[in-house]
Amino acid sequence: MPMSLQDYAVTGTPVDDAHIVDAHAHMGPYFNFMVGDDGSAAAMVRMMDRLGIDVSIVSPHIALTCDWLEGNRHVAQAAAEFPGRIVPFVVVNPHAPRAAIDAEIAHWHDTTGIVAFKLHASLHKTDTMHEGYTAVYEYADAHALPILSHSWSGSGGPMKVIETLSGRYPKIEFVNAHSASGWAVIDASCELAEKFERVHLDLTGSLLVYGGLERMVERVGAERILWGTDSPFIDPRPALGRMLCAQVPDEDKRKMLGLNAKRLYRL
Amino acid sequence: MSVESPDGLRWFDCNARIGPWSNPQLEQFTDIDGLLAAWDRVGIEAGLVHHTWAWEWAPPQGNAKLLEEIAGHERLRPCFVALPPGTREIEPPREFAAMVRGMGGAVRIFPNMHNWRVSEWCAGALFDALAEQGVPVLVDVGEIDWEGIAGVLERHAGMPLIVLGFYYRCDRFAYPLLERYPDLYLESNSYGVFEGIEMVCARFGAERLIFSTALPELEAGGPMALVTYADIPDEDKQKIAGGTMRRLLGEVS
Repeated sequence: MPMSLQDYAVTGTPVDDAHIVDAHAHMGPYFNFMVGDDGSAAAMVRMMDRLGIDVSIVSPHIALTCDWLEGNRHVAQAAAEFPGRIVPFVVVNPHAPRAAIDAEIAHWHDTTGIVAFKLHASLHKTDTMHEGYTAVYEYADAHALPILSHSWSGSGGPMKVIETLSGRYPKIEFVNAHSASGWAVIDASCELAEKFERVHLDLTGSLLVYGGLERMVERVGAERILWGTDSPFIDPRPALGRMLCAQVPDEDKRKMLGLNAKRLYRL
Repeated sequence: MSVESPDGLRWFDCNARIGPWSNPQLEQFTDIDGLLAAWDRVGIEAGLVHHTWAWEWAPPQGNAKLLEEIAGHERLRPCFVALPPGTREIEPPREFAAMVRGMGGAVRIFPNMHNWRVSEWCAGALFDALAEQGVPVLVDVGEIDWEGIAGVLERHAGMPLIVLGFYYRCDRFAYPLLERYPDLYLESNSYGVFEGIEMVCARFGAERLIFSTALPELEAGGPMALVTYADIPDEDKQKIAGGTMRRLLGEVS
């Protein structure tokens, strides 16, 4: 009898029966707490092998805090070192001059291409309506790319922000990070996805309330839910265990674990 | 009833609860049947439970309700909610500690929510009695803070203190305390530090981590995977999964 996906978790077996994409990963050390092995790309790939994660889409911590350009170089190097395993998010600090942002986007466009952008407005001490993100939105819209944002923050909250941005940029796919961080967040995220077809819900977070994932699948369907871990900001194993042991069909788990991300990010 | 997971680990959940609470969601359970079903789905054999009455209403009544409800359920071990002795709301410390130990149970404290302090002037006699009996005490870090944890450990050697709810921003607090106090234990559920489980096992020993789920608040599969996928020897996994907690509760293996 074949193993169920839950069997992999309770026996600690690397998952070889699903294509797994960690659609929200980071890289490197962090000021706020210790990260094992400095969260190096090699340590991340070692962990991915242990769990059966095929691909991680990565934005380094340094890019999200003090040095976006250095972070973008780090992830480019990691992607070159581990081709097909580490895929870069391009990060932009909206406080940078428009010319610098345009140059960085052009650099990626001309070298490896851009799979997706990652925004972390709160760590960059602003919100997602900052005019410094305009170049990102314009490029993503022109190429129909996804953008993962820590939150879709701005005046009026995520509903208003997505309404504004989706009206202005009709081809962007909006990925709402940390959509399962508590019941109120789950309900608000589901409401967002129910209202806007181009919103996708990212599961990344340190905890998952009992029954929370099941509610999300029931409300918005497994097709628009993406599994991610925050690794190595957070150890990825609990996130994998939560998904593998969820009370939803294995076919839905496979979609959330990787098939949706593979399609959305064109991996 | 014996429940064994497919990999032979004997899981013991140190942090679960039963009873209704103020804001349950439709997906969550409040009764023993719900808890046992959640444990059975993933192969958890047994565990410590406290009652929500003791947490959100009244500790003495909640502790009594707990004993009434778990009677006859061999898989459920009692986790009593304690109060400091000044107001005499629960049994005198020595009687209380002996009762808990005699039942193979543990103690949970909520100093912030229940409005008391872990300082000597308030709770010293309680902790003295629990230390004499070697009764494990569980506390969420949000109920006490790391300074309070250090103070209790310094003053009450012999009382195993299991810290809950600290998540992944903890090691700069936890490491010096693990180094200094052998009675400090960390629940595994919230220990989300990248490769943290391997680092703690290598530096302090696997017996310092204790498996927990926080059911019915949180999912069980996550904390289990943290152990099953750990790059540590099987005997260390067994300690974390339940071996150490059973030993602390006085169970003879």
